Amino acid sequence: MNEGTRAVGEIERLHPFFLLTGLGRGLKGLTGAYALMAYLAVSGKLWLGLAMAAGLLVFSIVSVIIYWRRFEFRVGADDIRIDSGVLSRTHRSIPFDRIQDVDITQGPVARILGLAKVTFETGGGSAQAGKEDGVIQAISLERAQELRELARTRRSATTPSAASAEAADADAVYSMSVSRLLLAALFNFSLALLAGLFGLSQTVGDFLNFDPFSRSFWNSVLSASGPFRDYVLAHRLVTGIAGAIVLVLVGLLTGLIRTITREYGFRLDRTGVGLRRRRGLFTRTDVTLPTKRAQAAILVSGPVRESLGYGELKLQSLARDEDKSGNHVLAPLATGEEASRILTALGWREIPHPVGWQRVSKTFVWSFLLGAAPLLIVGAVAQVMFLPLLGFAWLTVPFALWFARRLEWRRIGYALDSDRLLIRTGWWRRRTTVLPLSKIQSVDLRESFITRWFGTASLQFGVAGGSSMTPHSIPAIPREGARQLRDRLLGLQP
Amino acid sequence: MESGGQIGTGDPPPFQPVEPGYKTALRLRSAIFWSILAVAAMILDRAVLADTPLAGALPMIAVVIGLASVIFFPAKTYRRLRYRLTDRILQVTRGWTFHTDTVVPLVRVQHLDVVRGPIDKMFGIATLVVHTAGTHNSIVTVPGLAPDRAAEIRDIIREQVRTDFE
Repeated sequence: MNEGTRAVGEIERLHPFFLLTGLGRGLKGLTGAYALMAYLAVSGKLWLGLAMAAGLLVFSIVSVIIYWRRFEFRVGADDIRIDSGVLSRTHRSIPFDRIQDVDITQGPVARILGLAKVTFETGGGSAQAGKEDGVIQAISLERAQELRELARTRRSATTPSAASAEAADADAVYSMSVSRLLLAALFNFSLALLAGLFGLSQTVGDFLNFDPFSRSFWNSVLSASGPFRDYVLAHRLVTGIAGAIVLVLVGLLTGLIRTITREYGFRLDRTGVGLRRRRGLFTRTDVTLPTKRAQAAILVSGPVRESLGYGELKLQSLARDEDKSGNHVLAPLATGEEASRILTALGWREIPHPVGWQRVSKTFVWSFLLGAAPLLIVGAVAQVMFLPLLGFAWLTVPFALWFARRLEWRRIGYALDSDRLLIRTGWWRRRTTVLPLSKIQSVDLRESFITRWFGTASLQFGVAGGSSMTPHSIPAIPREGARQLRDRLLGLQP
Repeated sequence: MESGGQIGTGDPPPFQPVEPGYKTALRLRSAIFWSILAVAAMILDRAVLADTPLAGALPMIAVVIGLASVIFFPAKTYRRLRYRLTDRILQVTRGWTFHTDTVVPLVRVQHLDVVRGPIDKMFGIATLVVHTAGTHNSIVTVPGLAPDRAAEIRDIIREQVRTDFE
């Protein structure tokens, strides 16, 4: 596009191919309408459904064309200006000083056409408010990279510390070999696909008379093939095992597909401002993670992964990751050594090897059981009433809960590592969190009416970014200890 | 060990209660909320549950909980709600089944609001809303303050926020 006249601020538009990619995007978002159309088609109002489809198509095409016509952006001396909107125009100015990072995303179609989506991440503004902030949907990849370079150099003029531009593609801080990718896929075993199918069959199965999760379905299928049915009925054990194997294979395959499409070609590089991550098989993303925005580092592992010496390293950052899950994956599967190297590249100290974990109170186990007691009693009564044949089988439930909770308790620990707090939780899903004290925004000390009897309290930390559903917390600390820890963390007490 | 814990240097100021008007405001607010819910429960009861053995149970529950939350709960909530402002922190304790004790260092405050709704105005109170950058606890509120006191606290905290940037 227009190269030399950049400083003047020539008006630029989205790439004309946006008319294609934007249309696809617009049509993808209309799932509700498709459901309605399918319903209309099935319930005999095919023409109404087709008319609606045609109407929607026309509407989408027109709205994409209008969006394209009305979307303009200019690169000024100090800022990028984006004018958009049809009826109410929005004139947005994004100062270069405020641009923290520039993300480049390429969907599969966009890659073929050589387009890219550019997202300007600014410091202000919560993650939820206005997710279309500073997004340029489709421009040529070269222009996208130019804009990124431009944003970097303009900003670094004001902050000389970040002046060292992107290091050339020398050594990656972390990258995944094919074998590592496959190993990661193995740990991504997931029955989500099966659960999805289950949900689908529950909702539309009645409608189509197709419900593979009900016995009668299989009976009717099998009755159509006599000898096979006889075989199945004769060898229930074999069919059971075969079913389990199929289940495992489905889980593995789902994990494989998910992992490879997302993590293929995973590469982490060090840049002037932080780390740069590239990944993806079909949709290729190129994300910059500035050190300044890092809030906490989280190492996620599991019993098997940990015994093999692996874990997933995530970074809690002010910006959301592209899949909106909150934390940015720094390494899907890394050895302790690699994790240390990534943390060092980020400018953080590595996690000290033997951490002197402080254990939490054992009332963590008992207060939980006490809280669950009403439910357990109801369950026991129900079982004795409705399933008396099982005898006292329900007694295993509190025992299992006790055992699981105890396993978890043994893993929970916290430690103060000079200016950082380390928190370790979970037995099955093991998380080790590195939380710099300067990133703690607020501290809650919580007691419920049960833990109050035991004299323990939990601490919850308000940290920017991440998910609000699972805040960083330490459970079951004796009340006075919790108060002292809080005061120390906030620097209110030496 | 005294119950407050040692926060800040020197003699920490004591915890302060909020305005008694807050209790009345809470009563009115729950009265409104639970009347609406009771009416809804009644409609649901007549429309759907009339012929089941559960008939009449839902409105009953709504009325009982509603009365309790108008007569008993506000006093407890009010008694547990305490706040304390030192030169470095704002501390708010609240809740009577689940105690929560929130500490916000003043330097971490992003911005501040003083909010007064119609009910607040009726009883001469205001709510101080403190925004932090955290995702959890991004909003910490101190309800039931006298409007002058809320404005005063806001100005004190604002001063702290400014000095931190200089």
